[in-house]
Amino acid sequence: MHDILTTCVYCGCGCGVYLHERRGQVVGSSPSRNHPVSRNNLCVKGWHLHEFIHHPDRLTQPLMRKNGRLTPVDWDEAMSYAARELGRIATESDGKAVGLLSSAKCTNEENYLLQKMARAALHTNNIDHCARL
Amino acid sequence: MKDKYILKKDHLLPLLRKLKKKHRLIAPLQNLHGDTLFTEIDQLDNVRLDLANQPQNSLKRFFFPQQEVLFTYRNPTSDSYRFETAAEERPPSLYFGVRPCDLSAVLYMDVVFSKNARDPHYLHRRQNTILVGLNCNAPFANCFCNATRNGPFIDFGFDLQLTDLGDRFLVEFDRSQGQEIIREWQQFFAAADETDVKAQYQAFLEARGRFSQQVHLDLAARRLADDQVPESVWQDLSMRCQDCGGCAYICPTCTCFTIRDRQTGDHEGERIRSWDACTFSGFTRMAGDHNPVDRQMRGIEKRFRHKLQFDMEKDNRPSCVGCGRCVNICFGGTDIVLFIKMTCGENP
Amino acid sequence: MAGLATTFGSGAMTNSINEIENAQVMLVIGSNTSEAHPQVARRIFAAMDRGARLIVVDPRRTLMAKRADIHLALRPGTDIPLLNAMMRIILDDNLADDLFIEMRTENFYGLRDMLFRIDLDETARITGVELAGIRAAARLYGRAQKAVICYCLGITQHVCGTGNVQAIANLAMLTGNVEKEDTGVDPLRGQNNVQGACDMGALPNVFPSYQQVDIDDFREKFERAWHVPLPSQPGLTLMEMTHGGKDGPLKAMFIMGENPMLSDPVIARVRETLDNLEFLLVADIFLTETAARAHVVLPAASFAEKTGTFTNSERRVQMVRRVIPPLGQSRTDADIIMELSGRLGYAMDYESPAEIMEEIAMLAPIYGGMQHDRLENSWGLQWPCWDRSHPGTPFLHKYYFTRGKGRFVPAEYKPPDELPDDDYPFLLITGRIYHQYHTGTMTRRSAQLCREAGEALLQLHPEDGRRLGVRSGDLVRMRSRRGEVQVKAQLTDAVQAGEVYTTFHFSEMPINLLTSSARDHFSQCPEYKICAVHLAKV
Repeated sequence: MHDILTTCVYCGCGCGVYLHERRGQVVGSSPSRNHPVSRNNLCVKGWHLHEFIHHPDRLTQPLMRKNGRLTPVDWDEAMSYAARELGRIATESDGKAVGLLSSAKCTNEENYLLQKMARAALHTNNIDHCARL
Repeated sequence: MKDKYILKKDHLLPLLRKLKKKHRLIAPLQNLHGDTLFTEIDQLDNVRLDLANQPQNSLKRFFFPQQEVLFTYRNPTSDSYRFETAAEERPPSLYFGVRPCDLSAVLYMDVVFSKNARDPHYLHRRQNTILVGLNCNAPFANCFCNATRNGPFIDFGFDLQLTDLGDRFLVEFDRSQGQEIIREWQQFFAAADETDVKAQYQAFLEARGRFSQQVHLDLAARRLADDQVPESVWQDLSMRCQDCGGCAYICPTCTCFTIRDRQTGDHEGERIRSWDACTFSGFTRMAGDHNPVDRQMRGIEKRFRHKLQFDMEKDNRPSCVGCGRCVNICFGGTDIVLFIKMTCGENP
Repeated sequence: MAGLATTFGSGAMTNSINEIENAQVMLVIGSNTSEAHPQVARRIFAAMDRGARLIVVDPRRTLMAKRADIHLALRPGTDIPLLNAMMRIILDDNLADDLFIEMRTENFYGLRDMLFRIDLDETARITGVELAGIRAAARLYGRAQKAVICYCLGITQHVCGTGNVQAIANLAMLTGNVEKEDTGVDPLRGQNNVQGACDMGALPNVFPSYQQVDIDDFREKFERAWHVPLPSQPGLTLMEMTHGGKDGPLKAMFIMGENPMLSDPVIARVRETLDNLEFLLVADIFLTETAARAHVVLPAASFAEKTGTFTNSERRVQMVRRVIPPLGQSRTDADIIMELSGRLGYAMDYESPAEIMEEIAMLAPIYGGMQHDRLENSWGLQWPCWDRSHPGTPFLHKYYFTRGKGRFVPAEYKPPDELPDDDYPFLLITGRIYHQYHTGTMTRRSAQLCREAGEALLQLHPEDGRRLGVRSGDLVRMRSRRGEVQVKAQLTDAVQAGEVYTTFHFSEMPINLLTSSARDHFSQCPEYKICAVHLAKV
């Protein structure tokens, strides 16, 4: 079993939490004693942080709508279709008809990349996230 | 001295290296972030063995994991079920640096998981394990094992037990596996003399005087048994409880669990067992939403009664081992020490 | 956040979470702290054990309110008159910090003139709180040496959200409770990385570190760094994007890890908008209500499967570490964006999240000294952190406010957009509960959390329950001018008569079918805390 320190995703407090890894599975979570926020304890959500990670509902394959239904496809097909459509609509409207929602659950690095892609690749400032909700 | 040995501190690492060849080695390690946890050691050379701080976790999760799959099942047709238990390899394991409280907790769990019903999952993990203990020369800030009577020194239940005497450890054994280690690696062990034994006793006396708090556990237990705990104590504490479950999860002797089935595919699933806490309202809620326990008023009563009354009546000892871990983790300050103090009418 | 930006110059928690423990008086307003921010509540309770006093302003009797020394159960949406009255009392009693006002603030007279026009008896009538209670709270807060104000979405999710925040900032500046350690104004952020997403410029009007897109100097700086001309016109906000309807401005959207089909107001409108897009791309870890409507869904990796950083409520940037590789064929959002961007003709080539962070540090001054190696070997750093030798900033506005001088912006009462009337006699408040998180995509897949709180409950006062013939556990049909849901009732005196409370975590009971689309003009924050509903037993 290995304990890896990471940051909880369940609220803005930002507790330091150890995830317990065993044979490729995350099997537990526990607080960091010396972390300035968690200080040796988590709330009930934090103690159960590991439970959703391996849930059978996790998406593990790209899906594409075919004849009205979401159908498993490979990455290349999903990506090339997505890039073609986004690119087409962005070019036709000079970025005005595309919009991006970033995520308050993703990392800073990912938020940075998404706003960079919006502005540099799609030429739009139509990017926001649910800060207000 | 008969059956007492000396291990030089300089020889600890070389001994562990030998033992690691045959055993999975688990010891309190201080990680890069400064936290000390019982951790499985992959590589002895790059780790910081920490015998100065209390490990933040006990051994509980190694024998009774936070979450485990008990078995998987498949039902390809509606009237046939196939069950499969993941048969897991358990190499012999050696737990090093176990304090008297955590050691007592393992002995307590042994009883819980084998007395009335034998729990194969627990016993499978527990077999083939060697416990190497370490007596506490200096109790930590929240410790009260003197009140629960299983520390700061312990003289049974371990395979090997170490007492820190400065430049050397005094080593004792209580089980044949410990004796076996001393015999196999006799080059590390010398017979202890009278000075060493005297030094150990001196260390014990000093340790006993170093507890920072007086906890009148016996008095509180008696008041509990006689139903003399004022209603206001339960209400005060229950209102302060913030329902995190942390006290039960961190507790080395809390063994409540819940079981559920989880569908993993169209015709397959798994049965999962995970830790539970009696402070949760879902723990007592019945079908139809009736709940015999009003969480707001008596939510934490069961926990304290179990530790200090029910187990006392059954086994004549509390099932709290005085490790103090629940004390500084509590969000609302409703820990067992506060309860004892309030019950005894002390001003916390 | 617009409220703090106009008064202090920086829209973030001014303290660290641990400082709250040392305060003498804590004013909690519009925050159900013990359920939504348990670690903050832990500090508040610890402070109380040491003798600190707690004032709670909340229409509901939450656990915080029960433990408070003073609980002001105001009528929802009347925070501004209440806070203004507190300030007036502080002035009348000579409890204002004159030196602080003189040295560190501007436009005090603007505030004072407004406060002197207040009729305190009128305030008591509007807020439904007795004057004696307001006076006691004002004196307690005004006399404290170190006082902290914590607020959350109960303040911002109103049509007057910005005004609410300005009133709070005024109160803190009036008493000099800002610049010191253990004192301040602390907006608690709802989601784990809201602060970071804002800092990173996932906003329509600013680049990372709040550098406006329509200011040429800033834009040119990013054009030089990214080697491409950039648009100068601020973009559309979330509500403008998701509430355009059939004739909305957008034809294509990329939604990364968000679920507007549950979290946004007037869901029917969101559905109409998304269904009329030519192309909808969603990346998420589960098939959310939003993803189910997409043309392409990309499987994303969870936080346990990637490396990066989150920024918490107290501006602490800390590491997220990869524990296991992405499940199945899923990929991290960073990998998804890099590939997509490449296919769009703008190559992104980063060998690791650490390299992305190096670029952030170069372009975002408040993150200037934050590289992964520094964050790895510490408990994170609090921004602003200007360079590699900077230790980070535990509390803001020491010696001077971010905007120079703190500005008093007088806030006047603005009634809620929709109040109960004969047809819709109840006032609905929405919020969060302890065991669930946001739209529940993660917490609802945790068996134990669902056992504790697995379905939405409508809190209803026993008196109202009697009148409607509803008992705990009965199903209630609740409708507003925009939609209708059925929900199980829970009778409790935690809510006042005439008011009901429920949550938005549960997709079977999408409460945002009912909520109004009214929003704050400045912050665009929707008024989730107030709308009028009609109840009937099913």
